[in-house]
Amino acid sequence: MTSLHHATARKTRTGLYGSAVVLLSASISACLAWPGLPEHAPWLRALGLSLASGAVATGLALAACAALLSAMPMGMPVRAWPRLLPAFLALPHMAFALGVLLLLSPSGVLVRWVFALLAPLQALLPWPLDAPPAWQSTQDPWGLGLVLVLVCKETPFLLWCALAQWQRPDLALRWHREMALARTWGYSERSAWWRVVWPQLLPRLAGPLLAVGMYSVSVVDVAWIIGPGAPPTLAVLAWQWLQDADPARRAQGLAAMAILAACTAVLAVVVYAAYQGWLRLGGRRRWSGGPPAMASFAPMAPNALALRWRPRVAYRALPVMYLVVAAALTFSSVAGTWPFPAVWPQQWTLQAWQSAAGSSSALGTTLWLASTSALSALVLAVLLLEALPRRFHAALMGLALGPLLLPALVWAWLLQSGALALGVDGSVSGLWLAHTLTVWPYVLLSLQAPYAAVDGRLAAVAASLGRSRWAYLWQVQLPLLRGALAGAGAIGFAVSVAQFLPTLFVGGGRFSTVSTEALALSSGGQRSLLAAYALLQWVLPACAFALAWWLGRARRFAQPSVSTSLH
Amino acid sequence: MTDTATAAPPVLQLQLRLLRAPSGVLLQDFALALPAGAIHTVMGPSGSGKSSLLAALCGTLEPGIRFEGQVGVDGMRVDAWPIQRRRIGLLLQDDLLFAHMTVRENLLFAVPAGPQAQRTQAVQLALDEVELLPWADADPATLSGGQRARAALARALLAQPRVLLLDEPFSKLDAPLRQRMRDLVWGAVRRRGLAAVLVTHDVADMADAQRLSMLGAPQA
Repeated sequence: MTSLHHATARKTRTGLYGSAVVLLSASISACLAWPGLPEHAPWLRALGLSLASGAVATGLALAACAALLSAMPMGMPVRAWPRLLPAFLALPHMAFALGVLLLLSPSGVLVRWVFALLAPLQALLPWPLDAPPAWQSTQDPWGLGLVLVLVCKETPFLLWCALAQWQRPDLALRWHREMALARTWGYSERSAWWRVVWPQLLPRLAGPLLAVGMYSVSVVDVAWIIGPGAPPTLAVLAWQWLQDADPARRAQGLAAMAILAACTAVLAVVVYAAYQGWLRLGGRRRWSGGPPAMASFAPMAPNALALRWRPRVAYRALPVMYLVVAAALTFSSVAGTWPFPAVWPQQWTLQAWQSAAGSSSALGTTLWLASTSALSALVLAVLLLEALPRRFHAALMGLALGPLLLPALVWAWLLQSGALALGVDGSVSGLWLAHTLTVWPYVLLSLQAPYAAVDGRLAAVAASLGRSRWAYLWQVQLPLLRGALAGAGAIGFAVSVAQFLPTLFVGGGRFSTVSTEALALSSGGQRSLLAAYALLQWVLPACAFALAWWLGRARRFAQPSVSTSLH
Repeated sequence: MTDTATAAPPVLQLQLRLLRAPSGVLLQDFALALPAGAIHTVMGPSGSGKSSLLAALCGTLEPGIRFEGQVGVDGMRVDAWPIQRRRIGLLLQDDLLFAHMTVRENLLFAVPAGPQAQRTQAVQLALDEVELLPWADADPATLSGGQRARAALARALLAQPRVLLLDEPFSKLDAPLRQRMRDLVWGAVRRRGLAAVLVTHDVADMADAQRLSMLGAPQA
């Protein structure tokens, strides 16, 4: 267990070092290029907004993940949730944010329905119900909408990472036994989970948590769509500056991004140091120890009523949220003229879908780009995992974590710099390369656990049967990993579909995908077209996941021709 | 440590000078010379180097373990060869059947290249020999422990090895099955004129009391 823990920590450290070097060099060059930093008054408030919304969203997502896991009876997570989570993960952040925007905005679906319900009480209400409310239910100045979207999107990711640990036979068996042992000492199931499993699981989530934190602080598309507007978050300001034709403005954008990343890194170090300090002061002992009676207070062991409803609510809240957002997107995509406060549109139309489908350039580019980059990343990941001995795999994973721990804008800037250096910026090959490099870490990380789970002795047995390494690879290893390979390919496809920064930065504005189209439409008034593009962002990865499921489904064997065993 | 060699020409020959793990010397100055049909048993406490000895013979030693010596099969020195060329078969504690293949496909994987009809015929005969014909197209996971062990044996033999290395292959079977598998394995080894090295903790597994090596605890 110790060695496994050390391997995880080593991977995270390697990724951190790589990211730190990139960030440091970017910070130095950017800060040198931007001496006018203090003159931009809103940047400090924008920085505060970014850090606060990112930190709160990360903390809440972790809390929601822990609450969901603790509410699951032992054994349930590995059966039900892994099948459900890819559907949640397939939905890009941008599409979810657009769905929430269409749902919660002052003229959104939810407000219309609530106003319709309140209509009989109009006389008692201080505001009119025939016009959109004046308050900011989205793009609020405190970033609440941004936090909501980030929590809803990051919770499934953390759950997925946690369940990946749970699916490891060694850990699952040990945790199951330890929980059973704790229960014999009088702890309830949830209390035993909090005291036994959670302290072991939390350090294993350090890498994903850092990635979530860095993403939440530096996210551009979600913050642009649903985040505060005056000032926006620093990531949005940086994005706007980086798109400017003026080199000084671009340097300003890079500096802002580097400062944001550096502040996030400092925040992460402070949190990590606080956690280590808590451990040194015996926090874990106090957390895990204590008599069973002490463990029975909430939230460890809820009262009888809570026991009846809370797990059900916890299990269903997340799927319901996603279903509601999907419904809002679907509904809006086929809505025609729809004056406020009408609950239903005056007409239904498929015009938006016809228009989206007719935009062969965006759809076609998305499809070829996602397919080729996912496939290339898959081949690259398999080659590396095959070519490198297993003892180097931890270092490889550390390398893969690097881009995930970098802010998306810094990564896009690196890709752009690389493409410029290679002379492939604005070209098809440059775009393919940028997407492949962006997709590769996700594909590699999703393949790592299945690869590690393949029994190394199978290769020795195949070789002892006189078969070459290639025969083993093609006839044994890859078919055994068929499901995992298909899943990793689907993840790569989904990641590529969701990317817009590499497309904009490396493509130089010459290529449009469903994501760049959706982002461009998000500030306009074409509600149905926007919803259609957002749904496409979901439907395309969902199709890839469905295909992966079909390709990876278990083989059906023939029934034996006799029913009794001869032994 | 005792070893009794016979005058018959050896199928397997081992001249081991040193087998060293990071924890210390596992084995030193150990020799084996097994003629056709001979079954040599290796016993000893955990960590004494039994499994490492088998790994040294078939060339699957872990990176940290150093082997100095020579391995010969049918008079050819094979220790520099990759495992797939050594003609050394493996039967381990777990059957390690490939889970995505039927029983028949598992066996077909081991048959050397040749005309397809000939390969299929060889598999059919092997399935018949181990009484697994009715389960030929079944999922290996649905087989009983004894059936899986027989399938693994048939697969190992189909590769036409000259040497069979057995690492506690009977330990997971219950008593009646264990005796049946022993008879099956020893019969196959003798009929085919193979040489076999068996690692076990169970004295009852021993096929030939004259061919026994007892390994001691490793030296630091």
